[in-house]
Amino acid sequence: MAVPTLLLISVIVFALIRLIPGDPALLMLGDMADPQSLADMRSSLGLDHSVVTQYLIWIKSVLSGDLGVSISSRQPVLDLLVERFSVSATVVLVAVLLATLLAVPVGLLAAWKQNSAMDLGLVVTATLLLSVPSFWLGLLLLYVFGIQLGWLPVIGYVGFGSDPMKALTYVVLPIVTLTLVEFGAIARMARASTIEVLRLEYIAHARAKGLSEGAVLWKHALRNAFAPTWTLIGLILGNLLGGIAVLETVFTLPGIGRLMVDAIFSRDYPVLQGCLLLITCIYVLVNLLVDLLYPLFDPRVKL
Amino acid sequence: MNNYVKTALAVALSACTFSMAVAQDKVISVGLNGDIRSTDPGVNRDDNTDAVMMHIVEGLVAYREDTSVAPMLASAVAVSPDGLRYTFTLRDGVHFQNGQLLTAKDVQWTWQRYLDPKTQWRCLAEFDGRGAAKIVDVAAPDANTVVFTLDQANGLFLAAMARPDCAGSGILHPDSLAADGSWRAPIGTGPFTLGKWQKGQYVELERFKAYSPRAEATADGYTGNKQAFVDKVRFEVIPDSASAKAALLSGGVDLLPDVTAMDAAQLKQVKNLQVQVSPIMTISGLLFQTRDPLLKDVRIRRAVALSLDYSQMVAALSDGLSVPNNSIIPTASPYYDSTAHQGYTYNLDEARRLLKEAGYRGEKIRMLVNKRYPQMFDMGLLSQAMTQAAGLNIEMETLEWGTQLERYQTGSYQMMSFSYSGRFDAAQSYESVIGDKDKEPRKVWDNPEALAILREAQREVDPAKRRPLFDQLHTLMLKDVPMVVIYNGTAIGVMGKRVEGYRSWPVAKPRLWGVKLADTSK
Repeated sequence: MAVPTLLLISVIVFALIRLIPGDPALLMLGDMADPQSLADMRSSLGLDHSVVTQYLIWIKSVLSGDLGVSISSRQPVLDLLVERFSVSATVVLVAVLLATLLAVPVGLLAAWKQNSAMDLGLVVTATLLLSVPSFWLGLLLLYVFGIQLGWLPVIGYVGFGSDPMKALTYVVLPIVTLTLVEFGAIARMARASTIEVLRLEYIAHARAKGLSEGAVLWKHALRNAFAPTWTLIGLILGNLLGGIAVLETVFTLPGIGRLMVDAIFSRDYPVLQGCLLLITCIYVLVNLLVDLLYPLFDPRVKL
Repeated sequence: MNNYVKTALAVALSACTFSMAVAQDKVISVGLNGDIRSTDPGVNRDDNTDAVMMHIVEGLVAYREDTSVAPMLASAVAVSPDGLRYTFTLRDGVHFQNGQLLTAKDVQWTWQRYLDPKTQWRCLAEFDGRGAAKIVDVAAPDANTVVFTLDQANGLFLAAMARPDCAGSGILHPDSLAADGSWRAPIGTGPFTLGKWQKGQYVELERFKAYSPRAEATADGYTGNKQAFVDKVRFEVIPDSASAKAALLSGGVDLLPDVTAMDAAQLKQVKNLQVQVSPIMTISGLLFQTRDPLLKDVRIRRAVALSLDYSQMVAALSDGLSVPNNSIIPTASPYYDSTAHQGYTYNLDEARRLLKEAGYRGEKIRMLVNKRYPQMFDMGLLSQAMTQAAGLNIEMETLEWGTQLERYQTGSYQMMSFSYSGRFDAAQSYESVIGDKDKEPRKVWDNPEALAILREAQREVDPAKRRPLFDQLHTLMLKDVPMVVIYNGTAIGVMGKRVEGYRSWPVAKPRLWGVKLADTSK
């Protein structure tokens, strides 16, 4: 099924991109373009062929592992994707992991103390974090920690391969921003699903057996309550791994989201096609992984 | 530990600290709003690429501060009386960044490469006959002389050669290419060499220690004495303007060469920052499709022109930093004179009278705008509001920039708010708008009389004889109203107090030679 699905996706991706008005050759040459230069540029970019021929040339290359060459930078698209995806993935994976580690216990606690002042406080905090636009929070953190306190760099990026400690200082703020934003969504889901589970009879039974509240919560409530949260985490990961364009722009991270936005503006078809294919594959893969791991939390679900 | 040992240690420590301080490179960080496209000058390029590459390569001639053209690698340029032969005498002792001496053969090799269609040089059309003239021969009769022969006289030849989007036709050493002819890295004669390009993040240039500056006392535009004083220039890629401001305020970058008027007004209030403003050569205005059933009537176009309060509009658009200009010749051009200064006078009564005479009954006129370039959107918005008072019914249609550019190229619009990138010669400015719409739909002014005057100005080499031709064109353009030029933009550079010697200029690209970093550690 995966191969026909990906082929269908490739057709959709290819056609959609070409439906966007705008000409990459014209964007490269600007308002000074004369007809001959424009025709030469289109020819050199392979845009003078019919759309069907362009698609066949592209898909043939893709099937042999070659995603083509960027119109703007003339770099191989595959190299660009690998380079940029590693940056986005580092930030996203760490942020989602941190958000999960913080939000699940908080959601559990809020559900346990439902309708208490603590619950109210946690729900308000989570809702606030969920509502705040990531770029605004990012800029706020930049202002406080970058400009006012001067603790962290405001722009730039260093790869973990070249200097791990320095690299850390560049990704702290994007990771914190993303953690805070995703914390809100995960905490609310964890709270809601725990409240539902805590109302079930087996929890009353566990309490009636004389188990401590800690044991009831961690051993009995958490596993069942975590299943819907796990689905949400899967969706979040799928979404975020496709690029965090806004945060990457604010923090000048050379990630895949920024690559895609730049490619849209410059109508860099090969890069855009490569990005969309990669994002689709990631989405399918992450969801598959979530489904495969689901029985670990909820044994009732068997594939 | 006795006192002698303590003193010796202290002295040694101080010496170490001092030597470290001395050894520390002076690095200036400059914000760029996007990455460069390649390191191949004038080939795979955009504005940012040109800005960086113009630090590495130099051409035979270059633009001065006032956008006139002067020798750069050449010590002298002689033009034959018939205007067909340009003889360039090379300066003595100029070295490439690989240590090799610049010779006429290198110039010849570079130009052969540029003129080869396979190179895909941005400016090939200017020199292969599609533009005003064709280079028929580039000869190197001796090591210090290069002779270009044209098929016809061309007053734009040197100006085209110096264009920054052509990378100033920068002269390269053949080792810039690999053995198989593929591009490797630029080896030029400029004051900086290419250090490291971390794609999507930064481009680092290093001072070329054996640079051979011209004899002039100071730098003059892209020519003059271009001695570098900083050890490294680091162009940081910061696409978001808010992040760029944050970087400047935190000291993450030393200089932002191009901020908006609104940001400049805000940053001007910050104690440790300085602002540099210069008029630039971009041409902003409203374009009309003169073949549109409604707008083919010059009275309606004139009514639009007369219903705009230019002073108020330009003050609002530029935060008081620009002045109105109804001429396609930018105010910073040496050809901007008293005739070019004449423009439209705000006159609502006359605008209403013209509309009535044309039988205009409030038909909708669609004006294309975009939000990628806020000044184009704002210019459209203010025009819409002002023309309403005269009874015009203009409706704005916001498009993505790539889409608007395509509509411009195909001529499929009624009206649009548009900015032309900087043209540095008056003939180039007129050339961008005058032409046959059947052949080039992007041309806004299809007038055979204007085209004939333009061709004459393009052939003429003598600036004194070109000036009246441009004056004629301006007068004719005000009469025909194929577009309404409103103003020229400004380049606003904002920098930290430790940056000394940086100047914004009409070409609107940063220049980091001649710039010093003050020692603020004391």
